[in-house]
Amino acid sequence: MSAAVKTLVNQPYKYGFVTTIETDTIPRGLNEDVIRLISSKKNEPEFMLEFRLRAYRHWLKMTEPTWPHVTYPAIDYQDIIYYSAPKQKAKKNSLDEVDPALLETFEKLGIPLSEQKRLTNVAVDAIFDSVSIATTFREKLAKEGVIFCSISEALHEYPELVQKYLGSVVPIADNYFAALNSAVFSDGSFVYIPKGVKCPMELSTYFRINSGDTGQFERTLIVAEEGSHVSYLEGCTAPMYDSNQLHAAVVELVALDNAEIKYSTVQNWYAGDENGKGGIYNFVTKRGLCQGVNSKISWTQVETGSAITWKYPSCVLVGDNSVGEFYSVALTNNYQQADTGTKMVHIGKNTRSTIISKGISAGHSKNSYRGLVKMSPKAEGARNYSQCDSMLIGDNAQANTFPYIQVQNHTAKLEHEASTSKIGEDQLFYFTQRGISQEDAVSMMISGFCKDVFNQLPMEFAVEADRLLSLKLEGSVG
Amino acid sequence: MMTEGSEVILSVRDLTAEVDGTPILKGMSLEIKAGEIHAIMGPNGSGKSTFSKVLAGHPAYEVTGGEVIFQGQNLLEMEPEERARSGVFLAFQYPLEIPGVSNLDFLRVAYNSRRKHQGLEELDAFDFDELIQEKLDVVKMDSAFLSRSVNEGFSGGEKKRNEILQMAILEPKLAILDETDSGLDIDALKIVANGVNQLANPENAMLVITHYQRLLNYIIPDRVHVMANGRIITSGTKELALELEARGYDWLLEAETAEVAV
Amino acid sequence: MTTQVSPKREVGYLSELLQQRPSLDVQAIGAETVAWLQEIRDRSTPIVRELAIPTTRDEEWRFTDLSSLLKVNFAAAKPTSPLPDISSLVLPEAAASRLVFVNGFYAPELSSVAGIPEGVFAGNLWANEIPRWRDYLAKLPGGQEVFSALNTASLTDAAVVWIPKNRSLEVPIHLLFVSTAGELPTVSQPRCLVVAESGSAVTVIEEYAVCPHPQPLSHRRGGQEYAAYLTNAVTEIWVGENAQVTHARMQREGEEAFHVGKTAIAQARHSRYTCCAVSLGAKVSRHNLEIFQTGEGTETILNALTKIAGEQLADTHSTIALNHPYGTARQVHKCIVGDRAHAVFNGKILVPKPAQLTDAGQLSRTLLLSPKARVDTKPQLEITADNVKCAHGATVSQLETDEIFYLQSRGLDADSARNLLINAFATEIVDRIPIASLRQTISQIVRSNPIS
Repeated sequence: MSAAVKTLVNQPYKYGFVTTIETDTIPRGLNEDVIRLISSKKNEPEFMLEFRLRAYRHWLKMTEPTWPHVTYPAIDYQDIIYYSAPKQKAKKNSLDEVDPALLETFEKLGIPLSEQKRLTNVAVDAIFDSVSIATTFREKLAKEGVIFCSISEALHEYPELVQKYLGSVVPIADNYFAALNSAVFSDGSFVYIPKGVKCPMELSTYFRINSGDTGQFERTLIVAEEGSHVSYLEGCTAPMYDSNQLHAAVVELVALDNAEIKYSTVQNWYAGDENGKGGIYNFVTKRGLCQGVNSKISWTQVETGSAITWKYPSCVLVGDNSVGEFYSVALTNNYQQADTGTKMVHIGKNTRSTIISKGISAGHSKNSYRGLVKMSPKAEGARNYSQCDSMLIGDNAQANTFPYIQVQNHTAKLEHEASTSKIGEDQLFYFTQRGISQEDAVSMMISGFCKDVFNQLPMEFAVEADRLLSLKLEGSVG
Repeated sequence: MMTEGSEVILSVRDLTAEVDGTPILKGMSLEIKAGEIHAIMGPNGSGKSTFSKVLAGHPAYEVTGGEVIFQGQNLLEMEPEERARSGVFLAFQYPLEIPGVSNLDFLRVAYNSRRKHQGLEELDAFDFDELIQEKLDVVKMDSAFLSRSVNEGFSGGEKKRNEILQMAILEPKLAILDETDSGLDIDALKIVANGVNQLANPENAMLVITHYQRLLNYIIPDRVHVMANGRIITSGTKELALELEARGYDWLLEAETAEVAV
Repeated sequence: MTTQVSPKREVGYLSELLQQRPSLDVQAIGAETVAWLQEIRDRSTPIVRELAIPTTRDEEWRFTDLSSLLKVNFAAAKPTSPLPDISSLVLPEAAASRLVFVNGFYAPELSSVAGIPEGVFAGNLWANEIPRWRDYLAKLPGGQEVFSALNTASLTDAAVVWIPKNRSLEVPIHLLFVSTAGELPTVSQPRCLVVAESGSAVTVIEEYAVCPHPQPLSHRRGGQEYAAYLTNAVTEIWVGENAQVTHARMQREGEEAFHVGKTAIAQARHSRYTCCAVSLGAKVSRHNLEIFQTGEGTETILNALTKIAGEQLADTHSTIALNHPYGTARQVHKCIVGDRAHAVFNGKILVPKPAQLTDAGQLSRTLLLSPKARVDTKPQLEITADNVKCAHGATVSQLETDEIFYLQSRGLDADSARNLLINAFATEIVDRIPIASLRQTISQIVRSNPIS
């Protein structure tokens, strides 16, 4: 990689600071007693403890997946702390009671929570290590009947709803990391949109890992009742440590008849340093169930962080005429590894899905797209359009594409497109010879490459995503 | 064309350059005045393309000696984008595809960086559109090309025409055409040559590098230079090109070797 | 490039076919030519003896079952007398630049070379020009493949086109290979050689048809039944530096035909090769299209249309083997498949390390007209160069009920609506056929053959 390319890619990670705060941390290791301890600390209903223990027993019998195109040293699951929370009053009634150090932390991350400074059209649930510390606009949302709170609170206040849907999309034994999450998850967001309600503002959860040896296992559950509509966004950052932290989240979405869920992610966990030391292992299971007719679930993700990403936001299209979408930009640099993509499982009639995946690999990174499109025998008239583009920056990056297609219905219609291109010395010289600076050249090429995906993001975040990518790539070209 | 007393646009003296440690240019000297069209011919590997890339400042080539003066400025001290903004234009032998960047945006950003450099106000999208519609005619291009990504999915002929369109927009002082005729069918060749002839004027200079004499039937050069082994071994009028087509390069190369032996 | 065929499975069958090769007649051909042809045959004969007719266990033939071929015993095709009536196959644009071969034999009476200008050569192999041709005939890679080897081992004559340096030929050259299917199964093995020297340009129409029949693809109308026949053709095209060859390949064999064709192209620096291949006929057909890049900056454009119905099988295997920088390749392959027909497309594009800054795009589109129609399509981009732009796309679709309904609601009956949509699908390729009269003929065939 030439010098100019290098300076472009290697921007310092500006979210790498650590917040000093007194925490309530349980001892390292995992066994049934630890799970009971987590459950009792959170004062959970009995069904939840049973759910966790069942998941744990399944997990013990499972093995870590080896098929992703990533390599990492064996994880010692007994060396991880499964619960760590900032010490604070049991229940915070207002933001005034939240530790100012925490508020300051989120402010520094660009997520002000106080009434004066918060974003006016976005409700935020802020999660620090294992617990939710604040959720803004709860009352305003409650007026519309929208429930937006941490999942711990939901377990107390709406246990029936949680019990009905938790594990209904991602079963406890779905895969190794989902089983682990089901056993030990600490917190996350819960969203419930009642029948016919169009959620009046963007909902957003901001995840912050602070502690150096705590695993983070959040659980998000979104239920959209008939005819409802919600747009949800999550963001993630973590401090810079030399060690790796495990993040194994589960997200479940349920869309009933005519409901629509739009789920966007800007993932910027710490990615490790330029030699690949440190960074988050991001092993995440995200799945949406289009249960109702004409329902729609749309995933948009901008993945720029994490040392390793293993993540396939999927749609199970059960309802007739339901729609699944996946728009993704995955950027890897230095020694990052990403194996990401989606699964579109067509079960109902005339179901439709769209996959737009853009992978950018710089440095010595590995970036793989892995996607499955499945047309079940009953999926009459189902359609899929897939487009998977890769862009290589420099000479040592890798891009792979693994599209899997299973068609069991002859009326199904599939389209697939893929391309590989490069930003290298020659492409940049073409720009500079026309009088355009290298920085402008890279930014034009990256924006152009990603625009199909960025167009799907809520406006405020599209700009943010564009800027984030330019920052990440600054100096990586030339 | 009358060039006596015209301004010297480009002056190259004893230029040497290498790539990855291998010397390619071994003492190039050349002077081009305003209003002139020069052609450089030569066998494969003679250093023609290297010369064009060195003039434009391609980072892979290292200049090891000699000087290049462009309109009184030391060209070799300038960054590639500065050279471009000062009026050096290279029509690429193999124009690159830039997915996702529309031809129109590319042209506008390029044009405005030139304007900015000249201390002129940048053109907005509307005015630029007017300008470009006018220029499309030079290369007989359809405006549908403008909304497509730069060179993406273009045929060989379309890519070369797009280069000439860019040249028409940027109005360079010195246009270097690096084997613009290679891989073109006769119709595309005529369009490209016609475009170049329309853009040539008493104020600018053209350096046409070609492997095939055919192009010089359509663009009539004032001078023809033959390059071999990294330098110009002989120069002449357009008749020299015809002789080369008929006799090949070997007789010249042999003469050159003989000369060296003496 | 070579087909991996397990040896010695159908030894008898292949040597039977080899037995059917015409003998080389010194009187007609001349001693020098015979010696040369014998030498070429002798190089390929041992290869044929090592090979067998491929089966679906061979990767390159996975979807194309040749077992029906093995049930037929072919005898050598013979020249006919009187000659067939080819008037329906004559292209007005190439009325004076046409070479006709009947059952593999050159028919000067049906050919016309009056419009071929001085310096350009179009004729058969026996004209005494061997020194020029020696370096080109049977010299392209890929000769190890079983059917190519069989053709070369049986080499007797060829259609030869030679365009000298810097000559741009205005008239297209029509190479017409007709088979007169008769009562007994026959085999013929046509051969073409096209050499376009540096800076030259030429358009070549290569056509395979059955004769006589008043209209293509409907030869049953006369009430006769024709026996099966096998055409095993090989075409070699050399495109010189900065030269341009525009090639149309029409396969309109009879219903009982087996057609195996190889087109091998060598592309020198800065050359352009454009192919438009249309496959309509034959019970079982296979086209192997192989491009070998020998210098940088080449442009390769491959367009293909296959339209089949009934029990037809049509297979295209293409390979674009790049090995130099700055190459461009664009491929669009379209299939329209009706009834219980079966289309196969395997499109390989090889972009090894030296082929930096290659720009390759491939698109495969299939229209299935019935639930029993089948397609197996496989893009195969093997890219090890890292600074390239490569893209591929594939679609498989049916006629949209909505679209048909829309047209019906505007007053078209269901059949016309379907045919209109089928025609629209085919137009993209048909429009790229370089000869107007041929474009019209093919367009008519696509339209006038409603597939139920």
